[in-house]
Amino acid sequence: MSDAPTPLTPAMFNVLLALADGEKHGYAILRGVSDQTNGEVRLGAGTLYAMIKRLLIEGLIVEVRNRPAADQDDPRRRYYRLTSAGRDAAMAEAARLEKVLSRARRAIRAFRTA
Amino acid sequence: MTESTETRADRFYRAILRMLPFDFRSEFGPEMEDTFRSQRTGAEQESGWKALISIWWEGLLDIFRTAPREHLTVLAQDLRFALRMMRKNPGYALGAILILGLGIGANTSIFSVVNSVLLQPLPYAQGNRLVVLRQSAPKAGVDDLAFSVAEIDDFRRRNHTLSGLAEYHSMLFTLFGGSEARRVRTGVVSADFFPLLGVHPLLGRTFQPADDRPGAPAVLMLSYEFWKQSAGGDPHIVGHVYRMNDRPHTVIGVLPPFPQYPNENDVYMPTSDCPFRSSPGMISNRDARMMHVFGRLKQDETMGRCHSDMSAIATHLQHEYPKSYPPTVGYRADALSLRGELTSRARPLLILLLGAASFVLLIACANVANLILARMARREQELLVRTAIGAGAGRLLRQLLTESLLMALMAAGVGLLMAAGSLRVLTPFAAQLTPRAREIGLDGWVLGFAILCATITTVAFGSAAALFSRRELAAALKQSTMRDTGRRFARNVLIAAQVAFSCILLIGAGLMVHSFVRLSNVNPGFVPQRVVVAEFDLNWSRYSGHAQQALAFTDRLLARVRSQPGVLSAAVSSGFPLDPQASMGAPNDRFQVEGESRTATESAPVTDLRAATPDYFRTLGVPLLSGRVFADSDLAGSLPVAIVSSSLARRRWGQSDPLGRRVSFDSGKKWITVVGIAGDVKDSGLAQAAPDELYLPLTQSPAMGAVLVRTAGDPAITAAEVRRAVLALDPETAVPLVETLEQARQDNIASPRTTVRLVASFAALALLIAVAGIASMLVLWVKQRTREFGIRMAVGAKPRDIIGIVIREGMTLVVIGLIAGCAGAVALTRFLKALLFEVTPTDLPTYVAVCGLLLCAGLLACWIPSRRAALIDPQLALRCE
Repeated sequence: MSDAPTPLTPAMFNVLLALADGEKHGYAILRGVSDQTNGEVRLGAGTLYAMIKRLLIEGLIVEVRNRPAADQDDPRRRYYRLTSAGRDAAMAEAARLEKVLSRARRAIRAFRTA
Repeated sequence: MTESTETRADRFYRAILRMLPFDFRSEFGPEMEDTFRSQRTGAEQESGWKALISIWWEGLLDIFRTAPREHLTVLAQDLRFALRMMRKNPGYALGAILILGLGIGANTSIFSVVNSVLLQPLPYAQGNRLVVLRQSAPKAGVDDLAFSVAEIDDFRRRNHTLSGLAEYHSMLFTLFGGSEARRVRTGVVSADFFPLLGVHPLLGRTFQPADDRPGAPAVLMLSYEFWKQSAGGDPHIVGHVYRMNDRPHTVIGVLPPFPQYPNENDVYMPTSDCPFRSSPGMISNRDARMMHVFGRLKQDETMGRCHSDMSAIATHLQHEYPKSYPPTVGYRADALSLRGELTSRARPLLILLLGAASFVLLIACANVANLILARMARREQELLVRTAIGAGAGRLLRQLLTESLLMALMAAGVGLLMAAGSLRVLTPFAAQLTPRAREIGLDGWVLGFAILCATITTVAFGSAAALFSRRELAAALKQSTMRDTGRRFARNVLIAAQVAFSCILLIGAGLMVHSFVRLSNVNPGFVPQRVVVAEFDLNWSRYSGHAQQALAFTDRLLARVRSQPGVLSAAVSSGFPLDPQASMGAPNDRFQVEGESRTATESAPVTDLRAATPDYFRTLGVPLLSGRVFADSDLAGSLPVAIVSSSLARRRWGQSDPLGRRVSFDSGKKWITVVGIAGDVKDSGLAQAAPDELYLPLTQSPAMGAVLVRTAGDPAITAAEVRRAVLALDPETAVPLVETLEQARQDNIASPRTTVRLVASFAALALLIAVAGIASMLVLWVKQRTREFGIRMAVGAKPRDIIGIVIREGMTLVVIGLIAGCAGAVALTRFLKALLFEVTPTDLPTYVAVCGLLLCAGLLACWIPSRRAALIDPQLALRCE
């Protein structure tokens, strides 16, 4: 398993992945998750912010203090980015999933030859 | 986005967000609204209204799923914090939990009895539809006339509102077939009695109509208690044969434990087995009334209609049989609910006790509210800091409520433990008042009651205190003196309220104690010390109609008993004063006085009757006021004589001398001459007035029921000797009861004694809590004013002055509480009137004593804090703050 203090749920993993390419506000994270999964995973605002709260407490993400230019900004929006711990956790989770996947592939091959 | 462009959808979503915990909402709420709005706009632009509906659906579902999870997280966090606060302040937590626990315990204990006795449905099938029929003759002073066989038939045939009607009466018989002859209380019932109640046998079967036909083989059912105690719970008891009334009686079944009304019986038999009930004279005589009647309301009938139905039947009977129901007696028939009858004696006492217990809880609540206020003052810094770093008022309130709830649950636990422990005291107490006592226990209702009590009290008082503190907190940021004044006022009110409630409770308890002291000091009219009484039943079927044999037995018995060492005198009589088993009172009869004429509307006077041997008065210590006692020469064939009680003499003959006057019980066929006047005896209870009593010599009216022995030795040894003497003379004699009259006297006031003890212990608890409350309030007050006292001492105040200031502060509240309490007591204690004996609800000595006690207790409570204040070192005090 990873070094992260708690195992990641699939939704948390998705949020971390959505932040992989830079800081985002809530709605952008939702879009990111939806885009990355081709619309298969659609998070609600309640679930998203419960997740954000947990990730903030666990130090996997932080709120970004410097905001976009005033004309592009909505004061209600807050921006988040990955911390190095968050990046490590996401990578560890990806590695774990890869292992699971390769094991599954081997098993499928075995089914086919049997 | 600005307020002006806010849509109805935005507002709706914001309303839904209120389901989330306050903290979560204030941190992420606006952002969530923004995100959801963007989701909606995106979906609408890309895929139209179908996608919009789906976004709404998913969004709402998502909030419904998230909200409970987030609330649980906050609860867990608050609980952890509350536990940490308790560990940090164990004295406060323990004090509050114990005080509340005691208050809740007192209430839960009494509620467990109230619940089982008054609230739960009767353990009969549809118990609320069961009724007791009652005939009465109020103008002749008879509340319960009982029913004759003919009347039972009439009510059975003529009623329209009952689906069933069963008869019942109870008698004492002697049962043979065990280790020794036993007197058994026997319920004599019609075959439909148990089906009517819906009682199913534990073993065997209940009676069937065939058992109740004349000439049917005699059968018995055993009560659960008799089966357990006398038959050792033998599972093969069905078929066992006992001998009773000279006939074999076969056991056909065993009853389950159930509340028996109006008597607890050992065994039951069908009416045809009772030699009295089945005698032709009894069946044909409309005026031979000794039965009770139970009925079951038809499904669609009401008590009101049943009542009218019975009244109508009574009116018809009056017309048909004017001789049996003379207009002078005011004959009537009623239907009463069985449930009410089963609990009528217990109800007022239980309500009184619940009232007393709720006062204890009120005092405990006031005390805990005070503790909370005091602690709020100490936690002010913490709360201020938390407010400053952004904790909303709602958040703080929620935290404080969680702390209160946690405390409530712990206090409920303490209360339930106390209730479980007190059942051992309360069940025997309730058993003196109602047959339903056997049902008392802790169940889900009691558990719910304890938790509800705890929750309501802590949440109400806890949050009131917290809310108050919150307002103060706002003021704190502005000015510190203002909040001190407000809080102190609230605390002072709470202290005065505690004193007032304690005062009311103490006065109530004081009145009951005073009343009980009066009751225990009542002169019963005889000297109960060192008198042993043994009740005995001769085998009725052998001695009935053989008076000479029975008298010979009496002579031999007395000779034998008198020869025992230490015996001073002995007598045999038909009964004895304060007999615990004489539930219906002594036998009585109507009589006429020679030369006294009565108008047609006047009924004949009634007197209690007692047959006794000559030494009865000497043995009991009943004084002879004039004339003579019975002599050995008063024999069956000689002049019939009687001794009357002083009250009977006064009532019938007034100032004139009754000696030599004559009375008759059989319309003048036989005249009995009064030869003596004896002192009044409280025969039926210490609280009741002494009844009119007429004594007859046992030789002229052979009815033996008890042997009475006055001894100079140990009554316990005498008791054993007397029992042996009876059984040695005739082993077929049952000796159901051997006790001392002192014991009988104690038992007679057992129920008021327990009531007094309970109320007094509640009052003591209340006093203790209130004193602790005053002391802890003053300790804090002194602490807050350390600096002021320091200054006063620095400028020359003596420790005596400081003590004076503290005591004045405390005692002012005590006196205000006392005044309010006395006023409250005057208003409330009149409800006690029916329970008081020779004491009025406004009994001045009680009020004075209670006020004195409370003043002393108040002074004691002020003393410790005032000493502490006097010991303040001015140097240190001036340096603090």
